[in-house]
Amino acid sequence: MRNGTDRLRALNAPQRVRVELDEQRRPRVVKREAGNEKRVESFGENWRMDDEWWRQPIVRRYVEVVLEGGGRVVLFEDLITGEWFAQMPA
Amino acid sequence: MTRTPRLTSDTAACCWIPLFALRCETARRPELASLPLALLAPDDTRRLWQVAPLARRAGVKPGMTVSQAIGLCPALKLCEPDPVHYDEQFARLVAALVTVSPVVEPVELGRAYVGTDGLERLYGSPQQIVKEIQMRSAECGMRNFSEGSFAPRASLIHSAFRIPHSALRVGWGRGKFVSWVAATRAKPGEAVIVPVGGEAKFLASQRLAVLPLDPDTHRRLLQLGVKTLGALVALPEEAVVSQFGRAGRRLWRLAAGLVSEPVVGRVVPEPIVAALTFFTPVGDRDLLAHALDKLVDRALGDPRRSGWRVQVVRVHAELEHGASWLVAATLKDPAATRERIAAPLKTQLERSPPAGAVERLVVEFTAFAPGTAELQLFARDAGAAARAGRRRALQSAAREIALRIRRPMLYHVIEVQPWSRLPERRYALIDFEP
Repeated sequence: MRNGTDRLRALNAPQRVRVELDEQRRPRVVKREAGNEKRVESFGENWRMDDEWWRQPIVRRYVEVVLEGGGRVVLFEDLITGEWFAQMPA
Repeated sequence: MTRTPRLTSDTAACCWIPLFALRCETARRPELASLPLALLAPDDTRRLWQVAPLARRAGVKPGMTVSQAIGLCPALKLCEPDPVHYDEQFARLVAALVTVSPVVEPVELGRAYVGTDGLERLYGSPQQIVKEIQMRSAECGMRNFSEGSFAPRASLIHSAFRIPHSALRVGWGRGKFVSWVAATRAKPGEAVIVPVGGEAKFLASQRLAVLPLDPDTHRRLLQLGVKTLGALVALPEEAVVSQFGRAGRRLWRLAAGLVSEPVVGRVVPEPIVAALTFFTPVGDRDLLAHALDKLVDRALGDPRRSGWRVQVVRVHAELEHGASWLVAATLKDPAATRERIAAPLKTQLERSPPAGAVERLVVEFTAFAPGTAELQLFARDAGAAARAGRRRALQSAAREIALRIRRPMLYHVIEVQPWSRLPERRYALIDFEP
């Protein structure tokens, strides 16, 4: 019995989130869905990535954060669309 | 069973089912037939092993990495390999071929040579021998391996039970090489017969690629303008030897049809016996069952059993006061594992135990089937057999979960682009399907 899951599914696919930024344009609050928002407690590394300029350019600004409660996530801003996403740290 | 001193044959029928493993998958899961399908390699799941024609049309080739293949064909359906299943299916084909001739030499999954010396008095001309081979292979279930197994389902229904559409290709000729080349020239479900004496003429027009060449030699010959076996034979033998050494001589002689390697069959083992004499007569059934396990283990370890599965097993016991006890079991699916062989014996031990205490217990394997579930034909090492066993257990668990939950919940993690800077491109999930 097939259910349309024949395709490969990416592991660690980015999850769209909403963020509130501080004055330095760093994430201050991360909202995954309504009623589930967490304050950023500390920042780790941040880096920028430009890739696939020959196809569909990917330009991201990554920042590693520790959320309240101790969860560590990697947030990135898609600098083309302005959207924010969360991913598990590598 | 008697030991035949030498099972060889000069004339050979090469039976070949290309993409055998892939056809095994589409035969048991027909819904895959209409998809661009590829099998992952058993020893490296990052690479492809066999590729269905639909996927080939999109540029996907065996040996490619998963990421390369997905890049070329985003709709590619990837399948995990099930070597035990392929081996069992191939063993069925070999068993069917053994009913035609006792001289059968399996070479690789999907390819076996049948020695046909002396069969003309039984079946008639080579054409009739080939027909018999096709009939027997169809009877053993290979008819499901139709050529339509990679076509849309509608056409599969038409061709599924018609031998002419079978994927089995047969080549007949003198020696294994000629018969193999003939099989590669045959259309699916058909045969090419090379009459004895006509080898050189037949081979002359064949492409160079039919020779067992390494890529470097192939490239050098092409650079010399040699594209067919006829062109190779047109060169003086000594010139080829001076360029390519001993291998060159063999290639030249193969191309000229001068080499005729006989088919070498395997000798069916004689009964294998393992016996145990107890210090004091034993009546305890648990102890007898334990002893039975040990004896089956010992008999399985006999080197003569290698390459064969056990079909008939007998146990007899000498009892106190001169009485005896005997049970026998014929395994519907020949086995090479202690559990499967001992299970019916233990059932009989429970149902009709010996009438007295046992002084001596004897286990005897009396009939065998070619090939084994422990991958004698396909993967010869014990590690591969153990991996296959674990995979089987996992598949059984997966089937149970799928039955209970009614949706796929198990996945296999594969590397797609582990070097990618984008984390979501590195690994992916595919359904783990039993």
